Amino acid sequence: MTDFSFKELAVWGYDRPTVEKGYAGQTLHVDLERLQTTAQPVTGQMKEIFIGGKGFDLWLLWQAVSETTRWSDPENAICISSGPLGGTPAYPGSGKSIVTTLSPLTGAVIDSNVGGYFGPYLKFSGFDALEIRGKFNGQVVVFIDGIECQVKILEAQGLPDNAYALTQALTDHFGQGSPRGISVVSTGPGAAHTRLGCLNFSWYDPKRKRARYKQAGRGGIGTVFADKGLRAIVARWDSVSLDTNRPADKQALKKVAKLHAREIVELDPKQNEMARIGTTHLVPIMNDFDLLPTHNFRFGQDPRAGLIGKDVYRQLFDPGFDGCWMGCTVACSHGVKDFVPVTGPYAGQRVFVDGPEYETIAGCGSNLGIFDPYAILEMNFYCDAYGLDTISVGTGIAFVMECFELGLINSSHTGGLELGFGNRTNALELIHQMARGEGFGSIVGQGVRRMKKIFAERFGADEALMEDIGMEAKGLEFSEYMTKESLAQQGGYGLALKGPQHDEAWLIFLDMVHNFMPTFEQKAEALHWFPMFRTWFSLCGLCKLPWNDIVPEDNNESQDPAKVMKHVEWYAEYFSAVTGRKAGPDDLVRMSEAVYNFQRIFNLRMGYGTREHDRLPYRAVGPVTELEYESRSERYDKQLTEKYGVDISGKHTAEKIALLRKFREEQYEKLKDAVYQRRGWTADGVPTLETVKRLGIDFPEVVALLEARGVAG
Amino acid sequence: MIRVNGKARPWQEGMTVSDLLKTVKNAHLYAVVRINGDTVSRPHFAETRIPDEAEIYLIPMIAGG
Ligand code: SF4
Repeated sequence: MTDFSFKELAVWGYDRPTVEKGYAGQTLHVDLERLQTTAQPVTGQMKEIFIGGKGFDLWLLWQAVSETTRWSDPENAICISSGPLGGTPAYPGSGKSIVTTLSPLTGAVIDSNVGGYFGPYLKFSGFDALEIRGKFNGQVVVFIDGIECQVKILEAQGLPDNAYALTQALTDHFGQGSPRGISVVSTGPGAAHTRLGCLNFSWYDPKRKRARYKQAGRGGIGTVFADKGLRAIVARWDSVSLDTNRPADKQALKKVAKLHAREIVELDPKQNEMARIGTTHLVPIMNDFDLLPTHNFRFGQDPRAGLIGKDVYRQLFDPGFDGCWMGCTVACSHGVKDFVPVTGPYAGQRVFVDGPEYETIAGCGSNLGIFDPYAILEMNFYCDAYGLDTISVGTGIAFVMECFELGLINSSHTGGLELGFGNRTNALELIHQMARGEGFGSIVGQGVRRMKKIFAERFGADEALMEDIGMEAKGLEFSEYMTKESLAQQGGYGLALKGPQHDEAWLIFLDMVHNFMPTFEQKAEALHWFPMFRTWFSLCGLCKLPWNDIVPEDNNESQDPAKVMKHVEWYAEYFSAVTGRKAGPDDLVRMSEAVYNFQRIFNLRMGYGTREHDRLPYRAVGPVTELEYESRSERYDKQLTEKYGVDISGKHTAEKIALLRKFREEQYEKLKDAVYQRRGWTADGVPTLETVKRLGIDFPEVVALLEARGVAG
Repeated sequence: MIRVNGKARPWQEGMTVSDLLKTVKNAHLYAVVRINGDTVSRPHFAETRIPDEAEIYLIPMIAGG
């Protein structure tokens, strides 16, 4: 056990407001430079337009930064919030926190929706959102004590380095015998030495008597956190019941919560068994449909996929209730106990690993050509402990491995590491180097976009080829789905506000497997409705999984089965019951539309947010290399002849690749046109004045920004 | 006899998943089924035989991430 100590730098006492209809009614602002803490009221306009959650975060961040702010500037804020429905124990998936900041990878706004108890505890302690700005020269812990009604800024000494040990130590220290009342936000040493830092949000598992973790992974939020000198933010709260949010209509809330919770209990065992195997069911399914990324997204299938699929993890997961929020009947946040790493500082020790989820299996496994479930567990464990995003780490190392295999880099550049696909020992070594900020790992930790530049400048690697195979867009690494055969999902990634993360739109199955949206207009409609509805979960403090990962038995008979409208209606009832603001399904989409467009404009303000920033690396669109083309030549030849009317007789593979590329890139540009039009944006991808007026976000600074960009009504 | 989503159905020798889905409403929406705990995806429907007494669940829609 490490000895650690705290010195109180500032203590701020406050009167805790009663939460009313899901809102505490104020936000908390902590300045680490001035060591000041203040509260500001939540206005009616904030609730009306921004709803809560990510909406509140964006509004606070917008006021904190200017168009010249960089991620490492003191005024860049980390904002964390719950949402009006957040903290409801009976309704599945109601404990999410939403985090936003300016990303060290993209320079624009990044947002992450994460489990654990922090957001609800923050709200019940009296604050709908938290904004942390400034930097502290040293190590600091912010302690929000909702029971004693105090916020303390504490200078820390001697805290453990890695996130797991740190969280456990702080849970024991602040829990005072009630660890369930503590939630810790923290990161680890990898966050300080890379741009890929994640945040770990904890929840206490009373059965296993240990802190458990979920990650706000994407975009390097942990890196901003570490750069501020923050070691942890701790929230302390008491018990939670259906009354803690003081819902407007408790009976209506009870009724709809019961319906959804019960349906999940009844149907999950018949459908994807998430309460038993989490999201690992996706591994064999994605593989069967040629959608599981392997070897840096070259291919979508590998005969060894079964070795890292659900059947293996079913055996490895520690059985028991694994809800990352109280009473979530999906309970999909599984873990493996008594795992013994073979490398790094924990080699030979028994540890508990939270995960893996599908993304980590694909990112740190198949995409690296690694089909060893234990190696994946070890990467999962160390990424979490070091505070690194498993997706960016996986996609980053996949890029490195392909560059290595293509001879763009070699072992003289990598410090002697052989980094061909499948090399699990050296993949792990890179992760340890990232944590220490040493060796080639410190270059990998800069992310794919910066690696491309470094490899070209320092090692003379082929820039054009790296542009095609480096799987990043907007500076963010791709999450783990193959998009080559789904134009709609290319849009789902390429048009996503923060970069290629699938939480905005996951349309591969609907598009490619079910062929629900054959026309551009249908794709554009899907790329409007789904991102908007999915955004709504982050406004309210919710998890999206209960919406469409378990569906009603009669869903297939409904008019629009992909939308799972019965659940959308339940969500509208849920929102109305808590907030007292009557809403139907269309209102939920409208709420999101305002925030979504505001975020697009925020990107514009930061120098992004236009058509050119929605581009994709060609690997996401079609086959870059002859190897890829020839592996699926029947498919590609057929498309060239039947879809595009090309006579391919006598043509070499390189010629066919070039032709296919031209057609596919044109299709993607056409898709952009259709989506921009549907969203009420200009051809350059900027919301029109008419759109911002319709959505009520025509604030003077927004209008001025659009006018400066020549956007007319 | 087999059970499909909890309901009894007749079984025939040599019956495949594709054969079963021909008898199901909105069958095009099922891309994955579970047979005695094993997942079978559409690319394998035609070649996958259903054993007698099988417990089958038709997985409605793969919603993903
Ligand atoms: S569905 Fe899974 S990730 Fe979502 S709240 Fe429940 S346990 Fe957490």
